[in-house]
Amino acid sequence: MTTVRDAGTTEGVIDSPRKNVVEARDLARDYAFGRERVHALRGVTFDIEEGDYVAIVGPSGCGKSTLLNLLGAIDQPTAGSVTIGGRNVGQMRDREATAFRLRNIGFVFQRFYLMSTLSATENVQLPMAEAGAKSDDRAARARELLAYVGLADRQRHRPSELSGGEQQRVAIARSLANHPAILLADEPTGELDAKTGADIIRLFGRLNADGTTLIVVTHDEELAGAARRRIHMRDGLLVDA
Amino acid sequence: MRITLAWAALRRHGTRTLLAVLGVAVAAAMLLDMVMMATGMRESFRELLLSRGFQVRLAPKGTLPFDTDATIENASGIVRTLRSNPAIIVISPVLGATIHVPRGDRIVTSATLGVEPVVQGDYELLSGSDPIAANAIAVNDEFLKATGTAIGDTIEVATGYDPQLRTFGRSQQMIITGRVRFIYGAVDQLATAMRLSTLQKMGGVASSDDASLFMLKVRGGSDIETARRWIERAIPNVTVISTATALAQVDERLSYFRQLAVILGTVSLFVGFLLVTTLVTVSVNERVGEIAVMRALGVSKAHIVQQIVFEAVVISVVGAAGGLGLGLVTARYLNGILSSFPGLPRAIDFFLFQPHSAWTALGLLTVSGIAAGIYPSFRAASLPIATTLRQEAIA
Amino acid sequence: MFIGLLSAFSLFAQDSVVAAPSRTIAIDERLAADAGIAIGDRVIVSATPGSTNGDTVIVAAIVKRGADPAEIARSEYRIRMHLDQLQAVAGYGDRVDRFAVATRNPAATEKALAAINAAAFGFQAHRSRDIAVGTSKTFQVVSRFHRAIGVITIVASALFLLCIMLLKVEERRRDVAALRLMGISRATVMKSVVIEAAMLALVGSALGVAVGWAASLVVNWYYQGLYRTPLYFSIITPSIVTLAVGLSLVLGIVAGFLASLRLVRTPPLALFGR
Repeated sequence: MTTVRDAGTTEGVIDSPRKNVVEARDLARDYAFGRERVHALRGVTFDIEEGDYVAIVGPSGCGKSTLLNLLGAIDQPTAGSVTIGGRNVGQMRDREATAFRLRNIGFVFQRFYLMSTLSATENVQLPMAEAGAKSDDRAARARELLAYVGLADRQRHRPSELSGGEQQRVAIARSLANHPAILLADEPTGELDAKTGADIIRLFGRLNADGTTLIVVTHDEELAGAARRRIHMRDGLLVDA
Repeated sequence: MRITLAWAALRRHGTRTLLAVLGVAVAAAMLLDMVMMATGMRESFRELLLSRGFQVRLAPKGTLPFDTDATIENASGIVRTLRSNPAIIVISPVLGATIHVPRGDRIVTSATLGVEPVVQGDYELLSGSDPIAANAIAVNDEFLKATGTAIGDTIEVATGYDPQLRTFGRSQQMIITGRVRFIYGAVDQLATAMRLSTLQKMGGVASSDDASLFMLKVRGGSDIETARRWIERAIPNVTVISTATALAQVDERLSYFRQLAVILGTVSLFVGFLLVTTLVTVSVNERVGEIAVMRALGVSKAHIVQQIVFEAVVISVVGAAGGLGLGLVTARYLNGILSSFPGLPRAIDFFLFQPHSAWTALGLLTVSGIAAGIYPSFRAASLPIATTLRQEAIA
Repeated sequence: MFIGLLSAFSLFAQDSVVAAPSRTIAIDERLAADAGIAIGDRVIVSATPGSTNGDTVIVAAIVKRGADPAEIARSEYRIRMHLDQLQAVAGYGDRVDRFAVATRNPAATEKALAAINAAAFGFQAHRSRDIAVGTSKTFQVVSRFHRAIGVITIVASALFLLCIMLLKVEERRRDVAALRLMGISRATVMKSVVIEAAMLALVGSALGVAVGWAASLVVNWYYQGLYRTPLYFSIITPSIVTLAVGLSLVLGIVAGFLASLRLVRTPPLALFGR
């Protein structure tokens, strides 16, 4: 399990310096739409420390999701660099990037994206199976993770038998399967009602308190408020970091 | 986990999967039948030719055995010549003719073979005894049924029917001594066998030393082609046919069926491949979002391709297994149709099941399943992850 | 027997000029090609294989093979001789195997048949058509075989078509769901799918007829060359085209109907995946 850390107050506590787990330097990403060229990111620079909880906020189309995709090594920058755990993920070839994502990055999507034909425990085990974990070890860790997110009694249920909030919790458990260095979440409460969204926000808080580095993209003010740090974006640029 | 996902994907659309399997099964059945037909006729004919161990046949010049009514003169002289070759250990001369058996107010016509019962290779004795005596005759079940006779009965046997005078040239009383099955007999054909000398006498002076065919056994270890060439030189008025030559002749005559087998087999394989490719392509297109998520989670392209190829192979293999049973049933039906060719020996099968036929069909379908799954899965696994996820979200 | 004698004949080409006037024969084109015999060549015809004792004749004509199915795959040669000469060479005496009788019209055929059979002693008259039917049993077997293969192909095609239509229709489940939610009736949705299936079947069958026609040309070219016969092995007739197109249409419509029925029976929200 990730280690538990007290994330409540910082007053009076002298923090020892933490290393950067994410370093973005002049990140840019362009897209071609027919003859037009869209500059989704125009040169973004920032650092994220280990154990941090960062919310990236901004209006629709400002480049938040594009930035998250670059951080998650599922897209490649047109210019600039992004380093995670000291490795430049922007230059990786597909095979290397895939292997890197498997062991270092956890994803949580707005629409959950669980495998509809697998049960909750099978969904959580999927990344572990890909990483070569033994069947018994996978099953044990999946049980642990589902219990952590409060779904110990829903392990055998298929996504269609779970509520939206429950599905998102399974997705969060799945994202933690291989002990990732960072957990990226793209509008994780976007498809949830307020109450369920609040449950997820609390879960994120717990995850961060236990040591997980979290980067969320969100329109949700509650979720943004729960983060320790906000990065504002507009028109492909950081307004403040 | 890949296998779990593959099974789940197949079960998710059960009707569609079942229809695809059925389609592949029919294609597999046809493929199996064509593989059986391509090799079956030849093998069946070869087994028939070698069933009594005779490796060489002599027929009238320019003909195949019993292809025409032509006969070989001076049969006894030919036998003496053949005996001079130590490589030839058994010589079975055969004369073919038609006999007529008056039964009350009707006449039953039957084919007959004049043979040397001790060395003959034309029939299998089922009951009774060989027609050793000059007035003995052995008959098949169809003859017994048509004439209403049984072993031990005496019948009038005639040859040389003159249609203008409606008389017979020669006739004699003969005793039915045995019930036989003619190895080269066609379905429903009435047939009998008697001593060669008896039939030659009944044929009159013209055929008193004639034969239609000689069947020879060559000594073990001797080269059959060498013996064949020696006979061709020693006896120029006959055509010498080894088993290999006979098979080549049959191949040429039945080449149409072999070519049809190849064409239909190829078409069946292609149809099966097309069906599986279409199913996999549609299935993959429905799951591009799912595939993009798996890629985002860190599942490699190779593993995604493996999972989808596994689905394609399962459809192909299960279809092939079902097709095996169906293929055997349809082969029996088709064999029944082709076996009714006039004059075809009953023992010839056009569709001969050999285990390698089934393995060949299964192997071909498995390979086609793999091929069907590779391209669509590779294409889907290569889609840009971020773009695909965004498009799926919009959709 | 006649055929047997023919196949036992041996032909020997003569280089030197023979004094006695020679009669003429006609040989088939296969023999001419294989033995290198041309019009004007002198050959010896004999009933005994390997013998040079026989009649010297001149090849006066080379005859095209008839489109006779019974001759397929038979590699024997055919020659035509004057009847009396053949009877002498073969030792037949004053005998023939058959007479061929031409009549003015079908009514005359029936009259002749009746008259001959009433008066004939020792032989039977038959209509040529009846003999053709009797001797074509081999090809009846082949026809039955082809029909059986055709039936199997149709079953496979029907299954294939149903599967494809199911896939096509399911691909558009969301579109159909949206239409249904808008108020478009089940019947309208089904009609549009069936029309689409019918159009696909029509276009597909047109393509199939074109491919079949091309394949037929190839089959005839190949087998006519292989068996050296003018016989047509494959003929595309209007009735065959009508059957093929009609059957495809029916199968396509049925497949479309069944596939769309499945779709419209599913509640629209379920089609959206909710």
